[in-house]
Amino acid sequence: METPFWLWLIEGPFWLIAATIFVLGVGWRLVSLLALGRRRDLSVPRGSAAGGALRAILLHFIPHGGFFSSTTFHVLTGYLFHLALFALLLFAAPHVTFLEKNVLGFAWPAMPRWAFIVTAELAFAGLILLWARRISDPVQRQITDGGDHAQLWLTFAVMLTGCLALEEASLALRGLHMVMVELWLIYFPFSRLMHAFTWALSRGAMGATFGRRGVMP
Amino acid sequence: MDKHRRWLPSLAALGISARAGLAAMALLLASPLVGPSLGPGAWLGKALGPGGAAWAQVAAPGNRLGTAPPPARLWRDIRRGRAGAPSGTAIGTGVLVQSEGQRWRELHNRRVRPYGGWALLGSLGAVALFFALRGRVRLDGPRTGRRMARFTQAERVVHWYVAGLFVLLAVSGLTLMFGRGLLLPVMGKSAYGALASAMLQGHNLFGPLFIAGILVMAALFLKDNLPQKGDLLWIAKGGPWMRSHAPSWKYNIAEKAWYWLAVVAGLVLSASGLVMEFPWVFRDISWIQLANLSHGIAALAIMAVALGHIYLGTIGVEGALEGMTTGSVEEAWAFQHHEMWARETAAGSAGARGGTEAESEGARPGAARAGHAAAE
Repeated sequence: METPFWLWLIEGPFWLIAATIFVLGVGWRLVSLLALGRRRDLSVPRGSAAGGALRAILLHFIPHGGFFSSTTFHVLTGYLFHLALFALLLFAAPHVTFLEKNVLGFAWPAMPRWAFIVTAELAFAGLILLWARRISDPVQRQITDGGDHAQLWLTFAVMLTGCLALEEASLALRGLHMVMVELWLIYFPFSRLMHAFTWALSRGAMGATFGRRGVMP
Repeated sequence: MDKHRRWLPSLAALGISARAGLAAMALLLASPLVGPSLGPGAWLGKALGPGGAAWAQVAAPGNRLGTAPPPARLWRDIRRGRAGAPSGTAIGTGVLVQSEGQRWRELHNRRVRPYGGWALLGSLGAVALFFALRGRVRLDGPRTGRRMARFTQAERVVHWYVAGLFVLLAVSGLTLMFGRGLLLPVMGKSAYGALASAMLQGHNLFGPLFIAGILVMAALFLKDNLPQKGDLLWIAKGGPWMRSHAPSWKYNIAEKAWYWLAVVAGLVLSASGLVMEFPWVFRDISWIQLANLSHGIAALAIMAVALGHIYLGTIGVEGALEGMTTGSVEEAWAFQHHEMWARETAAGSAGARGGTEAESEGARPGAARAGHAAAE
């Protein structure tokens, strides 16, 4: 089947523009953060800052001690959503094919269709539960702004359009999914979606401070 | 061969009316209990009444190979769904004409779809009429600033989880049910084909998530939705229609009816949805046809009532939405709409604080109406 012009536009130039904005934007944000540097600490170090940073990055994958019971919902739904999302992103058959053709030039084994459906179910369950908590928890409602809603709904739209195009029966549905992906890529560097990269910097900075003071982060 | 005809004798033996057939569809969950000889084919068989036997009068096909017309008995057997041994095909069962499919289509297209559509429009009209006649139900007096805990965090999360999925499933389901008639003429075949494919994928994807949600929700909200002494007083006082005060427990009888409808219809939707999503489990196609009909009926029923629930829970009743967004409601709202529950809750809180609040009960907004609870 010959690719229509509009789909070529979406999967060609527009994809290139979106990917460029994503890469440059993320790079600019990360360099900006690192360039901020740290205020010189004149106190005598009681421990290793690097060790503290590493410990914080690894240990904080699971909440410490008493915090676990109060964050069980967030931990479980958060991992459910993120792990399923990454599995879809990296192992869905159409994604593997697309990345091979347009980005990397090589492929890897993709998940079978049944696994894709189960993983998509888990990702949606996690995202909807996180949304439900966001709109019904008084504290979360106070600290939620338009940007949180925008990134959540945009991510939902990307996932939804991807699943709606699952049958691969329509080029329009494929094009719609690609447009959503491109909007998501463009929005990414300028939103809290950047937490996909900044989480390590954040944990590392906090852990370094604690580590230098000889405190377990 | 006999395996494929096993329901036909029971079809003839069970002469049931159209109304009984529709009622029986709602009992899909109980169907496996009656055994294969009383399967859904029997229910569908006579569901259209006398017209359902029209197939027996259809003429034999003319463009067949050979010179002599087929015997009437052969054509009759084919129309009755008798399995043969076709050569050169991979049909599988050998059944050329599944006559129950015609009855299923007729029920679906001429009964479920139009009546369901009118039920939805009727529900919208009822909501509009209620708003026109009753207006927004406002708080009787000023807000007190005191809050009463109404829903736990778990209840709120599960409610919004189910509500979100319900909207997604309703939009996709309505598109599939009414799209061919309403959207296809406007959008054209190609665009509607893409839309229908997308909606089907979405519907199948979100269905299992809804099943999990409805089961958890049914369990979480069960305790306060059981019948309680005093439920009928709410109706006797005119419920939401009259401007007089109608006391109730945490949920009034209409809300309890909504809960049970949601649970029963949700279970029917879940079971019938699973039958359609895994059709190979049920080798008899009449199970799938019955599942399709019961799915449509249950979905349209729950959607029609949900319109009223959504209206009353948002703009219809001042202060109602706060319970589901923050977990607590204004104390004046609690005493105005759920006095018996409010008094019970207030008494419990006062007891926990050593009875100091109980002594000042007379200052509470609902105290003047204490007689309602006492009358129970």
